[in-house]
Amino acid sequence: MERYWNQEIECASREDMKKLQDERLVAQVKHVYENVKYYRDLMDEKGVKPEDIKSTDDLHKLPFISKADLRDAYPYGLLAKPLSECVRIHSTSGTTGRRVVAFYTQHDIDLWEDCCARALTAAGATNEDVCQVAYGFGLFTGGAGLNGGSHKAGLLTLPMSSGNTERQIQFMRDLNATVLCCTPSYAAYIGETIHEMGLTPDDLKLKAGIFGAEPWTEEMRRSIEKSLGIKAFDIYGLTEISGPGVAFECSEQTGMHINEDHFIAEIINPDTGEVLPEGEVGELVFTSIDKEAFPLLRYRTRDLCVLSRKKCSCGRTLIKMAKPMGRSDDMLIIRGVNVFPSQIETVLIEQGYSPNYLIEVDRVNNTDTIDINVEMNPDQFSDKIADLQDKERKLAGAMKTMLGINPKVHLVSPKSITRSEGKAVRVIDRRKLHD
Amino acid sequence: MSDVRQISVFMDNKPNQLAGVMKILKESGVNIRALSLADTKDFGILRIIVNDTDKAVDSIKAAGYAAAVTPVVTISIPDSPGQLSRVLDILGGEGVNLEYLYAFTGASDKSVSFVIRVDDNEMAAEALTKGGIIQLTENDISEM
Repeated sequence: MERYWNQEIECASREDMKKLQDERLVAQVKHVYENVKYYRDLMDEKGVKPEDIKSTDDLHKLPFISKADLRDAYPYGLLAKPLSECVRIHSTSGTTGRRVVAFYTQHDIDLWEDCCARALTAAGATNEDVCQVAYGFGLFTGGAGLNGGSHKAGLLTLPMSSGNTERQIQFMRDLNATVLCCTPSYAAYIGETIHEMGLTPDDLKLKAGIFGAEPWTEEMRRSIEKSLGIKAFDIYGLTEISGPGVAFECSEQTGMHINEDHFIAEIINPDTGEVLPEGEVGELVFTSIDKEAFPLLRYRTRDLCVLSRKKCSCGRTLIKMAKPMGRSDDMLIIRGVNVFPSQIETVLIEQGYSPNYLIEVDRVNNTDTIDINVEMNPDQFSDKIADLQDKERKLAGAMKTMLGINPKVHLVSPKSITRSEGKAVRVIDRRKLHD
Repeated sequence: MSDVRQISVFMDNKPNQLAGVMKILKESGVNIRALSLADTKDFGILRIIVNDTDKAVDSIKAAGYAAAVTPVVTISIPDSPGQLSRVLDILGGEGVNLEYLYAFTGASDKSVSFVIRVDDNEMAAEALTKGGIIQLTENDISEM
């Protein structure tokens, strides 16, 4: 039987949901226009007044806001509440440029944790469960979000943070953790370590995992499910919009339900900004309609994605987003061809290799080069050079079919590529050093 | 028939790789009888015959290396001109395909030993026995 954290909202009729969204959006636009000069200027520039926004049908009239705006407005330029009403700050990792800081009132924290409680409940968790939160704690939203959601849903919560993997596993065993929350790359590493310690999933009580904060493939999901003996659920979020829990997966595992009572999603053509109909691939854009301190309207996530209102077997009516095909930041353009690291991951898992890999991109004599370092699978090792070279050629061939360009594949020792306890670093792009 | 097992280990093409494996063998008190190192642009393969195969493999694998154990043909021939040529003629005559081979010090200073990696060990062993070539056993090697 499907369980819901907030059935009234999660299974609301489209009419009821739209009515709620309309009311919240109208109030939000007014709040933002009155309290944030940066927004007022953007809207004035576009000739849009709060009165022009009468319902969600008018959403497209509002200007977009991008990561560049957040950097321009750093740190207080988009703050919509006095600091005295704010209770917390979180920040992005800043790997793709200057950090972004987000502010939260208690109301904002409550709604965020509520979203995470919905995600945990959709993964089958109840107050009978023990939830190990192995996302990093601190400025990163991963640890705080799931930890708060787990408290809210009444789970016995282990705020482990990431790292010290053997201790994680020790706690998992001694305290019978049933739910694990962390990045997918860390989940894979925990699975690998369990195996190395001579344990099997039967030595653990884990039944579900909620993994997010970095892109991962369906193949990686199956591999984690097998190594940990669990059902693995995806969760989506971003610090700019609140954190994990903006969207979450249900038992159907075919995309993530967006908590659209708080966040309205649109898909746009990234080049023209035109709103695309349901089912078309484009850039995901979010509007937070009831956050107080840091409410972004039409924030361009740079995630390429598809939305669907197809009826879900779980009974939720919340719109679903597919797993993002990749953040446009992660996309590499090599010899004019778009390459996503997730495509490489798919090939590696299909061919029986570890999803730990490192892509090195460079430019030699004005031509882009791509080298993919792949860990040798000890079970596939051979004493013959020719066998290993065949493996490299076979992998390179499969990569060429998937990517449309010819990469060089290099086998390296098992476990020689650094394991990540948080967000994995998969790409070294040396072209940037030359520019 | 020769029952000798060779250990092969995947090596990254960077400093301290071989040293790492040697340290493991030193710590497990294993002695190397024969060794060869093959290299490519990307990686190398270390191949060794030791006096205690099981112990060596366990400790190498425990340290996280990719390693394999392969049965190989091991022979001992007199240390005089034309001996290896004779062996290769015997194998070639029976249509045995050679992958690689390497030499090591023999049981006495009048003989030399070879590790021979072929496609079909049984066929090679039969041909060598028929041709009167002495094949070593794992016991012979550990007692060297």
